[in-house]
Amino acid sequence: MKLDILNALDSKKILKELNASHSKELAASRLVELKLPNKKSEKYRYFDIEPLIQKDWNFTKKEPIQVKTGKSIVIKNGIVEQLSNLEGVEVEMKEFNDIDSQHFDSLYYLSHLLCEKAIIIRVKDETKLNIEHIVTENNCLISYRIVILSDANTHTQIYETYSGDAKDTLLLTGYDIFISRDSTLKFIKNQTINNNSYTPISTNRYKVDSNATFKLGTFDFIKDNGLNIFRVELKESANFDASHLLYANGKVKGGTISEIIHEGKSSNSNQISKNILDNNARGIFDALIRVQNSAKWTKADQNSKSVLLHSGAYMASKPQLEIYIDDLEASHGSTTGQLDEAQLFYLQSRGINKVDAKKMLIIAFANEVISNIDDEYIKNVVHTHFESAYYGKSNLECLETCHSCEDMVLEEN
Amino acid sequence: MSKVLKIKDLKAKIGEKDILKGLNLELEEGKVHAIMGPNGAGKSTLSKAIVGHYDVEITDGDIVYKDKSIKENEPEERALEGLFLSFQNPVEIPGVNNAYFLRTAVNAKRKHEGKEELNAAEFLREMKSKIEELGMKKELINRSLNEGFSGGEKKRNEILQMMMLEPDVIILDEIDSGLDIDALRAVSEGINKMKDGKRSFLVITHYSRILDYIKPDYIHVLKDGQIVHTGGPELVEKLEKEGYESLGSL
Repeated sequence: MKLDILNALDSKKILKELNASHSKELAASRLVELKLPNKKSEKYRYFDIEPLIQKDWNFTKKEPIQVKTGKSIVIKNGIVEQLSNLEGVEVEMKEFNDIDSQHFDSLYYLSHLLCEKAIIIRVKDETKLNIEHIVTENNCLISYRIVILSDANTHTQIYETYSGDAKDTLLLTGYDIFISRDSTLKFIKNQTINNNSYTPISTNRYKVDSNATFKLGTFDFIKDNGLNIFRVELKESANFDASHLLYANGKVKGGTISEIIHEGKSSNSNQISKNILDNNARGIFDALIRVQNSAKWTKADQNSKSVLLHSGAYMASKPQLEIYIDDLEASHGSTTGQLDEAQLFYLQSRGINKVDAKKMLIIAFANEVISNIDDEYIKNVVHTHFESAYYGKSNLECLETCHSCEDMVLEEN
Repeated sequence: MSKVLKIKDLKAKIGEKDILKGLNLELEEGKVHAIMGPNGAGKSTLSKAIVGHYDVEITDGDIVYKDKSIKENEPEERALEGLFLSFQNPVEIPGVNNAYFLRTAVNAKRKHEGKEELNAAEFLREMKSKIEELGMKKELINRSLNEGFSGGEKKRNEILQMMMLEPDVIILDEIDSGLDIDALRAVSEGINKMKDGKRSFLVITHYSRILDYIKPDYIHVLKDGQIVHTGGPELVEKLEKEGYESLGSL
């Protein structure tokens, strides 16, 4: 099926064409309003979306299988293969219709329409949960959605990883995350996409309730196209801290498209995007912060920093502020350039050769975001994956990220 | 006495501006040479030219180090051969851990000299004693390179690098700028401990204050891109009293 045929249909016909339940009427109506994107769509201007919309896709079949239990949730080609047996976590497959009626992205609604039952994860206690996505099926459209409901006063860390080298596949997934009041959720996405691999588009909705904190880290190391899309709503005194690291190499396009909506007063957001682009890679950072008139005393900061390692690399950076009140603190900025010559020279002047000095500076640039990860184990894994993607090998050395022996040696008599 | 560094009729420019206009200078092994001169004379350009800074274009003349011309060499090649510049304004490099950077530099030099590289514990033990000698805060080594360091901490960090890398020729560009008396004393003590009768120093300064702590063997006066006068330590007093103008031009 070609997705672009949906643009000519009304909501009822969309539901019928996609075999979707009538309870998904809202998603279908929003899809009719927004239309599927083409190359002229503002938010997709810098991403090759049209071939994906025009392609004749096979859909994966989601036959129920025997589900194991283990420490992680494992989803292979859209089918849940393993459920978590962690205490304080409940997982079920269920129809989910509490979708975002204001989302800017039509693919968010399409993925809901393609998802008969969502994977619903309820977090009831302090926990660290891993979600593994495995993508091996070639030449198909795989779509599934995950819902995370964190109970009030819970503190959760979710770490998601991707593996598998499916070819010519579109992985259209996403999360609807609801963080209840006084809760904290730390979410880390670690994704490496190899050359000539599948295309992941993750389109998400986050709702952060009063006094809750959401700390998002996306780490995308791509040699094929990929996109992160999200819309987040912040209630009173909610906090949102987003760090994005993109390393793209080759003739690829990828990055982040986002909207942060400050709805409640005294809400805070801080979004930083760091992009390292090599060869003919194109990075995308199209990010809007909207401060509504109900959100006085908001603090909102947004920054994009990009390093171009090749004359063919290109960064499309578009930070935007849309403000409807006077009483707030807000800033945004964007810089794109090459490695700092003075820093490079300083390292060389101490005997470090130019190749290693460049590597050191690139890793330092990335480290400013990687160091925001609180979990030491995950921090080292992400660092290693970044080095592997950038440098072709993992070469983590003592003192580079781990400083455990320092105190011991420095304190000994 | 052998000459470890010879600068021969050096002409150099930064951008379109000619700065060094036929400068001649020879550094003796084991001696402390001080270069003094007014603002804009070309003191920092000279130090940059010696270590191969990208700003400086050498248009004529030569720099001979240990009997080999180095003017075409990369900065890291010059460093590995034993040249060290303590920067007037060391750059901050966020995200590069100070200890990791220094261990990489030390091991690059050891590898170049055919020595075994130091593991983390060996390196840290060696660094620890140097930190204590310099009165540096231990936490500075675990921070990003020079990021958020005060002026004095940056200069101490330069001297720490110098002590760890054990170079043969040390160029100190305005090492005293921005230092209070205590920091100046600590930095000078660190430098004086490096004197071993073989190592040479080129101390670039505006003022004589640093020369109370690091006793020079020779004073060279640099004006308008050339060395206009060379003398012994007694020249410092004359310059203090009469200024650079008293020496005229070349």
